[in-house]
Amino acid sequence: MKDNHEKCLELANRIYDLDAKVYDCVGSALGRTFTGNRENTVQNLCMLMLAKPDGHLLRSELALISNMARTIPDKEAKDRMLAEYDSILKEIENLPDSFGKVDILDLTRAELNPTARKKLSENDHLVICISRTQGSAGNDIGFELADELHINYYDVEIFNQVLKRLEAEKGSVDDAETDHFTEFDKYKKKSFRLKTWFREFNRYHGLPRQDAIFFNMSDLICNLARTEDCVIMGRCADSILANNHIPHISLFISAPFTLRVRRIMASKNMDLKQASRFLRQMDRQHKRYYDFYTDGRWGRPESYDLCINSANYGIRETIDLIERMINQKRN
Amino acid sequence: MKKIITLLCVLCPAFLLCPINAWAADGSAEAGVPVWLCIPFAGLLLCIAVMPLLKGEWWDAHKPLVVAGWVLAMVIPFSVIYGVGEMAETVLDCAVNDYVTFIILLFGLFCVSGNITMEGDFAGSPRVNVGLLALGTFLASCIGTTGASMLMVRPVLKMNSWRRRKAHIMIFFIFMVSNMGGILTPIGDPPLLMGFMRGVPFFWSLHLLPVLLFNMVVLLFAFYQVDRRMYRKDIAEGRKPDISRPGTRFRIDGLHNILFLLMIVAAVILSGVLPGLKAFQDSAGNVLGIHIFRDVTFSLPSIIEIVMILAAAALSFKTTPKDIRTRNHFTWGSIQEVAVLFIGIFITMQPALMLLRQVGPGLGLDQPYQLFWATGALSSFLDNTPTYLVFLTTAGAIGFTGGISTSLGTVPVHLLSAISCGAVFMGANTYIGNAPNFMVKSISDENGVPMPSFFGYMLWSLGFLIPLFLLDTLIFFL
Repeated sequence: MKDNHEKCLELANRIYDLDAKVYDCVGSALGRTFTGNRENTVQNLCMLMLAKPDGHLLRSELALISNMARTIPDKEAKDRMLAEYDSILKEIENLPDSFGKVDILDLTRAELNPTARKKLSENDHLVICISRTQGSAGNDIGFELADELHINYYDVEIFNQVLKRLEAEKGSVDDAETDHFTEFDKYKKKSFRLKTWFREFNRYHGLPRQDAIFFNMSDLICNLARTEDCVIMGRCADSILANNHIPHISLFISAPFTLRVRRIMASKNMDLKQASRFLRQMDRQHKRYYDFYTDGRWGRPESYDLCINSANYGIRETIDLIERMINQKRN
Repeated sequence: MKKIITLLCVLCPAFLLCPINAWAADGSAEAGVPVWLCIPFAGLLLCIAVMPLLKGEWWDAHKPLVVAGWVLAMVIPFSVIYGVGEMAETVLDCAVNDYVTFIILLFGLFCVSGNITMEGDFAGSPRVNVGLLALGTFLASCIGTTGASMLMVRPVLKMNSWRRRKAHIMIFFIFMVSNMGGILTPIGDPPLLMGFMRGVPFFWSLHLLPVLLFNMVVLLFAFYQVDRRMYRKDIAEGRKPDISRPGTRFRIDGLHNILFLLMIVAAVILSGVLPGLKAFQDSAGNVLGIHIFRDVTFSLPSIIEIVMILAAAALSFKTTPKDIRTRNHFTWGSIQEVAVLFIGIFITMQPALMLLRQVGPGLGLDQPYQLFWATGALSSFLDNTPTYLVFLTTAGAIGFTGGISTSLGTVPVHLLSAISCGAVFMGANTYIGNAPNFMVKSISDENGVPMPSFFGYMLWSLGFLIPLFLLDTLIFFL
């Protein structure tokens, strides 16, 4: 199984290289077949090879490379590319049929989970992504966990500050625009103004502002996870890191609705009706945001490594539970 | 392969045993066209549909031979039935008067648009794509569906290059830019140009704006929903465009080629206007030209059109740096493919068109919805220009007194609208319904877009276009 995986990785690398060479030979500016970065593309191709039922997807991806290769004007280069293409195709055909011989283990997901390994390597940072429902004390748990582990803690306010700084460093953004970043609320609906719309259309390359900010934030989250140990609250960080093949632990913290209402009533001075409405609205918005950007299901167990009902443990015990799981208690 | 042979074995006797001939009242060569003479046309369509799926590489290498085989399969029995002379006249007429002008126009637009490239970092998102499709749809009425398709296809591909799921964008592009957008002026689509040559006022088609707007709203809404879904999936997989630069750069290189594009549009308009001028007619009122064989004449307006288009293409190549074509991934592959396939389609289609000319007037179609669907259904597979003319003639011969006065008779507005919409809109139903459809598919195939197969595309048109046409029928043609 391991040999098979390595062989697939090697083939995936060759496919990626072939695509790059073909695109280079063609000289086009219209876009190549694999536009993602090498690491992600290779991992995805590898998965396609390991999952035989989806073999047709791999074939159609390869066919796109060959379509482009056939248009290379230089005959010698074209022959060379097509020979490499044929060779890759033959090797893929000779891969052993691995599907059905494995257990439920999703290798690519498992590799991202530092707890699956006895000891973290020096290159792996401890990154804990926490999604939570409002009122479940998820923020308190995340903050205290980071404090106990002596690692950095990032939540929405900190992200906004960092994004503002990054935008300012890019130079051509005026103050008014950076101000918007600090005010940015991913759930808030803004009134429409044509001038602002045009400015944002130009600033964000035609993308909706919320999407552009998500893309910037994705880069930021990946950079953080590659360079330091940290706790990241929300922002679809688990999905972003999984897509970028960065090891992390994903947690979902929730509690029964009635207990969350009670907590919100106490912490925000709301009455029962207000607190219930507020929580329902927040849950709906969290779900919409997460589902839109991850195509996953917010709060569903299969989206996370561990789901915790914080009401069963309280803040302190929940932190202990997480620490036991990651086996990283440092004192 | 066995399945196809079995299918052909079943279909052939079925064709042979069905009412053999469709008899016409006159005694012309078109009288009694055997239905089975349409088999080569059906066979060629079947090959275009299934061969890329079954034997893709073999099909790519042997396409010209297969096309030649089906042409012979039509030409030989045709000669046996009508004689070699009649066959030669039919084939030459279709090759000289239909195919040559068709492929030269396509070639010219392909060359000129290939010399215009867009440099910029707009990222293809649902709203940008909706804007591009809307722009392309209106542009199609100004420079023709082929011109707009060729001009817009590369920018659309480029903006969406960061995405993985983009076949649906090109499919809706075919629906709207390559077909529907052509409805507003005679420049938009050849059938309307034919109508203009027969006396339909130039700006009459603008009356169809409400139909176009309705279709655009419905299709763009559907497209936005589909594209948003695909866009989400792309983002969820971690795909993202490069938006690291603040602000969007946008530049068009080779912009002077717009002049050559306009030159081609002018050539097309002239080909419609010149035959009506006295200077281009002999004393009997026939259009002047080079006589080739029997009644086949290469008309002077067509020659002028061709010369203008070729000159525009040559000037475009001469004045544009090669680098622009390289960046545009300009290859001859797609135009070659269309040229090879469509010569086969044009020739093998002749018996079907002859049959249509015979049977069409006798069908008793006099309601807008009947004409909309009859013109449309046939335009999905046959050339929409002769189909349009057959039904325009049918409508003109009914004897209405009120409506648009044409050289074929007076045609009520609602019937003319139905025929025009059927011919223009339903060309989007299949890859072969309109020439730009196949060009867009071919260019997309070469640039990393996994376009659906012939039948796969038809599933999209069945899912989105047929319900829309039903709505059109209910709202505009009942």
